[in-house]
Amino acid sequence: MSTFITLKKKDSDFQNYLWGKFSKTQIALPMATMNLDSPEETVTFEIVDKSLVKRPSGFKIFLSLIKFQNLFLILLPLFYVLVKNYVDNRFRDPQTCLIATFAMLFIFAALNIRNDVNDHVSGYDRVNISPSEKPINKGWITAAQASAMSWLLTLIAMIISLPVMLRQPEEARVIAVVIVLIFAGRLLSKNSYKNQRWGEVIFFILAGPGVVSGYQVALGAGVDTEVLAFGILWAWGIQFLVHLNNFNHILTSSQAGIKNTMTNAGFDKAKKILIGWWCAFIVLWVLYHYFYASTFWSYLTTVVLIFWSIPTFIKVSEIQSPLGSDLTDAKRVGYRNFLLMCVLIVIEFYWYLGNKNDWFVV
Amino acid sequence: MNLKIFSPKDFPAYLPKLNSLYDDLFAGGKGFRSKLVQMVSNPLVLPAETQQLLCQTIEFVHNASLLHDDLIDRSQLRRGKPAAWAKYTPEYAVLAGDYLLARVMVNLSSFGNIKLVQFTSETISDLLEGEWLQDSVVGDFFVSLEQLDRIHNLKTASLFKWCLRAPFMAAGNNDEELHRTLDEMGTILGQLFQRSDDLLDYDIRNDEGKAILGDLKSGYLNSFGAFVTRDMTRAQIDQMVKSSDLNEYYQCFAGGEKEFQSYVQKFDAVNEKMIQLYDHHLIQLEKKIQKPELIKSLKPLTEILYWRRKPKA
Repeated sequence: MSTFITLKKKDSDFQNYLWGKFSKTQIALPMATMNLDSPEETVTFEIVDKSLVKRPSGFKIFLSLIKFQNLFLILLPLFYVLVKNYVDNRFRDPQTCLIATFAMLFIFAALNIRNDVNDHVSGYDRVNISPSEKPINKGWITAAQASAMSWLLTLIAMIISLPVMLRQPEEARVIAVVIVLIFAGRLLSKNSYKNQRWGEVIFFILAGPGVVSGYQVALGAGVDTEVLAFGILWAWGIQFLVHLNNFNHILTSSQAGIKNTMTNAGFDKAKKILIGWWCAFIVLWVLYHYFYASTFWSYLTTVVLIFWSIPTFIKVSEIQSPLGSDLTDAKRVGYRNFLLMCVLIVIEFYWYLGNKNDWFVV
Repeated sequence: MNLKIFSPKDFPAYLPKLNSLYDDLFAGGKGFRSKLVQMVSNPLVLPAETQQLLCQTIEFVHNASLLHDDLIDRSQLRRGKPAAWAKYTPEYAVLAGDYLLARVMVNLSSFGNIKLVQFTSETISDLLEGEWLQDSVVGDFFVSLEQLDRIHNLKTASLFKWCLRAPFMAAGNNDEELHRTLDEMGTILGQLFQRSDDLLDYDIRNDEGKAILGDLKSGYLNSFGAFVTRDMTRAQIDQMVKSSDLNEYYQCFAGGEKEFQSYVQKFDAVNEKMIQLYDHHLIQLEKKIQKPELIKSLKPLTEILYWRRKPKA
């Protein structure tokens, strides 16, 4: 027999239940939410004994919290920066870059956990139910514990980044800009950076130009237009994934009053935006290669990318309903398209690396 | 109180076929929604004419949705008789449904309770949204239970919410907390009713003799279907779609009928938890209103709607 409790946002215990601080032996799992994101918000929790919750190993919970599968989103730009500067003979301070990479990994993990905590506290994850397992929703960890873990990882990232700033003072400026943007994003977006128009812009800057500039400066190479161009290209690609994910939740987000590019556009226009966004990505890809890459790789990768993008265009244009399996299929195909683009980058830059080192000369 | 929901006097006699269409439509319905309205209205001591208005409203809205629903689904039969669009014309079926909704607005606005008019309009909007969404997932055999719940919340639960809340609104009680609780209860009742109705398709507790695998054959994966297919392979789902009877359907499961029955038990267990949640909200309601007779009558609804059995005395 389950036990339930219904609490209003203004109730003194509401936050304790939401953050999982109300008991040492029990956990509160949100079952139903009314009037989300308003002073009248009411949540019904199911009270479950912690001992009855089936948890996977702590390691699996940690990997799930930090979204290990998305780690390549910050590692691939690192690979790009390392190869580019090695090829350009600007590989000046690899030790600092290595330290910065560790700082980046910790902050990436911290931000992903913070994202889950914010989604839980704002109720976003109760509206947009994700097929992926969310440790807080499953009761594997409380929001308070996850938040503490996020702060700890942030602290470690800050400590690690100190020597980076000492050795490469310009890095302090990049970090300052990033911190300002993160706080501006928090003030602007109630749900997360993915779900407000200005939040999307901030996310764009952080995910692309922010990441590559950070690596580049840590390497002692200074920011240049090529790295910024790649940052924009990369951010454009990541933003495509964000739009694709938001499109998956277009119905539920719209009903809950969540604002983003997809909900503002509506179902029919959003499909066109998604297709247009990826077309624009291909144009950016061509431009980047025209200015900064070899002709051979420009032609080859563009042709392959266009060929690989066809299923994405077809899947997105064929979506008939804001609910249903078409959405999941399109998301999967779009994500696979993005991964294949990453593979192209790796192969192309591996070739530049090999060319520099004469690996391919018999 | 014995209510007459439909009277030919309410509609213009000069319109050809309109009254005979409504005669067919309103005959044979169980009128469960109007009974629910009465169940809530009686303890609130609403005047007989107000109860009549509320019951008529919900039945008009419900039957308008049936007229449109049958046409959208191309269902040939309604309550064992030819569906209105098939017997008359699709155009008449659409217009007759629209006419009922217009009549609802005329009657309610004459009553003069603007909150009730607004709430009813929202309910009709939800109903239409649900219908629209449901049509958009026809032929999708990979739709998830959570996605179907969203549709059923709009299409089915919206009317249950109306039945619970409208009598309070008509009585002038617009307390927000009370209405939130009633809203939650209506949502659960609607979901339970829909899920139980979906089980009939698989001949589970099918005392009313509903057509077997009707939803599946119409290209619509219902809630139980979605519950089962989430563990199935693509090949199993392809085989399931082709099933022409239950025996063929059972063959989609590695363990045959036995495994199918175990899924029914698991589905019941999921819904049992929803029933517990309903009981929790009922306790919340009891704290808010001093109407023990209302609580007593609302208590067995899950038993009736989901388990389809008469409540124990």
